[in-house]
This record gives sequence, C-alpha cells and structure tokens, in this order.
Amino acid sequence: MLESLAISLVDAVPVLSGVPLWTITLLIMVVVAAVVLTFALTYAGLATYVERKVAGDIQARIGPNRVGPVGILQFLADGIKLLLKEDIIPAKADRFLFVLAPYLVFIGSFAAFVVVPFGVGLIASDLNIGIYYVMAITSLVVVGVLVAGWASNNKWALLGGMRAAAQIVSYEIPVGMALLPAVLIAGSLSLQDIVRSQGGLFGIFGWNLFHNPFTFFSFFLYYVAALAETNRTPFDIPEAESELVAGYHVEYSGIRFAFFFLAEYGDMFVVSALATACFLGGWHVPFLNAEALPAVWGNLFSLGVFLGKALGLVVVMMWVRWTLPRLRVDQLMRMSWKYLVPLTFFNLLGVSLWLLLFQGRGIPQMIASLFG
Amino acid sequence: MGFKAYLYDIWEAVATTAKGMRITARYGVDPRETITLQYPEERWEPSERYRGFLHNDIKRCTSCTMCVRVCPVDCISLEAVRGADKKMVLASYDINIGRCMYCGLCVEVCPPKSLVHTSGYEMATVSRGELILHFVPEDAETVKGRVAKQVAEAAAKAEAEKAKAEAEKGEAEKAAKPADAPQAPDPSPPPKPPREEAAPFIQPAAPAFAAGNPETADAAGKKPAKETEEEPAKAGDEGGEGKE
Repeated sequence: MLESLAISLVDAVPVLSGVPLWTITLLIMVVVAAVVLTFALTYAGLATYVERKVAGDIQARIGPNRVGPVGILQFLADGIKLLLKEDIIPAKADRFLFVLAPYLVFIGSFAAFVVVPFGVGLIASDLNIGIYYVMAITSLVVVGVLVAGWASNNKWALLGGMRAAAQIVSYEIPVGMALLPAVLIAGSLSLQDIVRSQGGLFGIFGWNLFHNPFTFFSFFLYYVAALAETNRTPFDIPEAESELVAGYHVEYSGIRFAFFFLAEYGDMFVVSALATACFLGGWHVPFLNAEALPAVWGNLFSLGVFLGKALGLVVVMMWVRWTLPRLRVDQLMRMSWKYLVPLTFFNLLGVSLWLLLFQGRGIPQMIASLFG
Repeated sequence: MGFKAYLYDIWEAVATTAKGMRITARYGVDPRETITLQYPEERWEPSERYRGFLHNDIKRCTSCTMCVRVCPVDCISLEAVRGADKKMVLASYDINIGRCMYCGLCVEVCPPKSLVHTSGYEMATVSRGELILHFVPEDAETVKGRVAKQVAEAAAKAEAEKAKAEAEKGEAEKAAKPADAPQAPDPSPPPKPPREEAAPFIQPAAPAFAAGNPETADAAGKKPAKETEEEPAKAGDEGGEGKE
C-alpha cells in the first residue's frame, strides 16, 4: 500500500523520478510512523488528564484545574516533569535488562497502533493478519514487564512481574477466543476487512455486536478480558499499589517510568480500538457510506466516528477503574479459567454453528429479508 | 458448585458491577455532587462559636492576669505596671499562638470580656518566634519607662501641691487634684492597630516602635532613677516564654 503511494507520488512529482523507489517508500513509512506516534503520544497525554478528571468527578472532587484553563495543560507539566527527573538505576540492578525493559513494553504497546483502522484509508499498514499481529505484538508487553520485574532486583518488582506474566498469559486465551467470532464473520484476519464486513446501510445494526446473540456476549467478554490484559484496576494486581508498592515499575523513575505509563494508556487505546473495529462497526458512519464519499470527507468522517467510539470505550475503562475494587490473585485466575475461558469457547462454538446454519447471515439481515 | 450456582455467580457479578457503575456515573455526571472548595479562593465560613486565634482588645484589658493564671499551657504572658492614676497599664501582652491549645478557658474567665476568639485559623511562619502575637505595639521597656515618668511627674506634682497647700493651708483641694491631672496623657498604649507585629522575635534588640516616638525614647533614657516606683505587677510567668 505504501509502495503504491510512493509510485503515485513519483508520478505526480516528476522531479522525484531520479530517486530510487525504495527511498521514497522508506520516507513515506517514516512519515506515517511519525504521524501515528504523535497521535499516540498526544492521546496518552490527554488520556491521563481525562482519567484524573473522571476520577475527580466520580469521587466528588474537581481534579486537576491549575495548569491552563480547567487544568488542560496538566499533562504537559507532568510530561516535562518526568523528562527532567533524575534517572535512577539501582546499584544491584541488571543494568542492560533494566534499560531494555521499558522499550519492550513501549514497543509492544505502540507497535499495535500500526494496524488500527482509523478510517477508510487511514491505516498505517493493512496487514492481512492484523488481529493475529496485534495479539502477537502486545504479548511483547509481558516480556517487558517480566524483564522489568527481574532486572530491578527488588522483591516487589519481581512479584509484580510474575503476577503480570501469569495474568496476561491467562487472559490472552479469552481475548483471542472472544475476537474470533468477528474473524469468522468477516472471513479475514485483516482489520480493514473485518470493519468492511460490518457495513451495509443498516445503521448500527450492521455491527457485529448485533449480528447474533453470541457476538453480543462476545463483545462484553472481550472487553472484560482485554481490560485484564491491560493491567488496569480492577485487574491491576501486577501493580497493586497497596500490596506491591508499584509492582514491576517500582524502581523506575523519570522518562523510563513514563514509558511504562504511556504504554498502559497505549494499551487501553489498542484494546478499545480493537473492540470498536471488531464489534462496534469500526469507522462506519451510520446511514452513510463513508467509502463512497470523496476521499477527504470520507476519511475525516470515518476518522471522527472511529475515534469517538474508541475513546468512548477508553472512558468506560476509566469509569470501571474508579468503580470496582481490585480482585485478589486467586479471584483473578478463577475468573479467567473458570468463567471467561469456558464462556468464550461456548460463544465461539455458538457463532460457528450460527454461521453454518444461517449461511453467515445475522439477525438484522434476516429481519430485513423478511420485508423484502 | 452446581451449574445453577455457576450461572448465578455470573449474574451476580454482572448485576453488582452494573449497580456500582450506576452509582459512580451519578456522581460523575451530577455537578452538584462536587463538594470540593477551591481553598485559597473560596472558603468555609467558620461557625460563630469557632475558637480561632485569640485577640485581646488592650483598650479594655484591665491587666487582671486571670487569663495568665487559668491558661493550662502557659501560652499567655503579661506585664503591667501601675500607672499614675493607680490603674494598671499593660506593658506587654503576648500570646504564643503556636503553643495555645484553643481550650477557651482564658476567654471564659476574662472579666472585661476583652479577650476573644476570632475566626482566624490561617498562619504560617518560618520560625516559631513569629507565632507569638504581640498585642501591645510598643516595646515593654518603653511603656514602663513612660509610665514611670508619668508616675514620677504625678508624684512630684502632688508633692508640690502638698507643699503649696501646706503653705497656703488650702486643705480641701489636696485630695482631688492628683487624681485628675495625669489622666489626659495616661492611656499609655496609643490606639494603634493591635495586631501590628514589630520585630517579633528579636524584640529586645530592636525597639522599632520606640524610634517613632522621641518623647518616650527620652523617657526611657532618664528612667533608672524612678525604678522603685514600678512594681512589675505580678506577671505570673516573667514573660520568658515570649522571648524565644
């Protein structure tokens, strides 16, 4: 896709015809990556602000309101503060792994942004194994967390790292199982194909969420399991402030800590974006065919709709966080293995049977066909 | 665990989560639920009976030392001298507000009701000495000096009058005069704002107030002669507390 972009660029600007094609392609890749990263960082910064505001509202407080109008610049102040903080590496730490761990976590979280379908044509790289790629690359977070816990040479950190590994490995299974119905319906692992399969002019009833009862439950199962995978309250036992001080990042300070922090918020967005793309119709504008619109307007509309849905889900995550208390370790494991795993298997079976019996048609389609 | 209990568990988890989220949503959305006050800009009105910082209206204070005696933590120190009209004149009245425990006994016991609790509760200083409130704006020695001078003048006048009366045998006027004459200049501490804090903890070295009043400075200079007249008015705790 990027290569075709490069070719069309060369066609449009004849001056570039002397430059080798791979250089232009590489340049476009860097630009796209920079744009995605800029978006991700801006989003993560604003999300910390929104999170604190949501927490304040829920707890009958006000939240940050000193830096800038209604405190909107608070995240900039925090970011600058983190940049200027002293970078401490404990004397007994494994220096190489200690330095490496934040990057692993950060990369694991932000590399997933590559396949997020922001709009009709707005996707950094439409991999044909999109979902598989996301599942694989976000598993890098486990490695990073475990390495961070081990390298810190601190028992809280190590316990946090072990817990994170156990938790994320456990919850990978329900997450994958809960996403499979969308893959089955679309018949493709590419996220763009999955989003397109939810089109049609049914409005919101084209969404996989309303395809059949099993996909409906699948969405909620995915959301719960994904919430656990992002290590957020009520599933934040790897950090568990009251038990483990701060878990795996207890020894990190300054910009290294900021990487963990950004990765958490990046994870939240990836999870929400995946839920949006797989179950909530992705960038489809209700009652409007975004793909048929002129490129600019189609992309803008679809981008707005997609961000609206995904960020809405992020806010719901914050809402859940400030509502529920933390689960105990055994409760967390029980929830995964005794509830989520069987239920997602059951759902997958249900969706498969449904697709087999009704030739892939969902309930809205059947109702529509009743009326001609 | 049977299948029914299993399903019930799931139902309970969903229902209780929904219930909790409904409550937090109500708090999150309803602006009336925000109870935080933006402290420096807005504040609660303290109750009428709130025991804040103590304030002594020294114009009404009779230097009876009741507050000094009743104070359980000895945070009030008081010095007074007997003036020319036989009334006590406050030389210094200090409250160590950092030591005060706001029991309110001194306010209850005050006969002229000059000592009151204000609603003030905000004070921050960089040293403990600054937590001492001085209610007599002048230096204690200055006041003592001036009062002693007045007493001396009154005594001299009385002496002179006595001599004159004896000489002229005008017996009737002798008793009334000395009481009236010094009355006008007597109310020694001028009614300045009482909370003016002059050089709080380096007080002995810096008589900042006295400098503004040459008359009293003069008086302080020639005082030692009349020392015997001024009895330090039984100030209970020698004001050592006040000069940390």
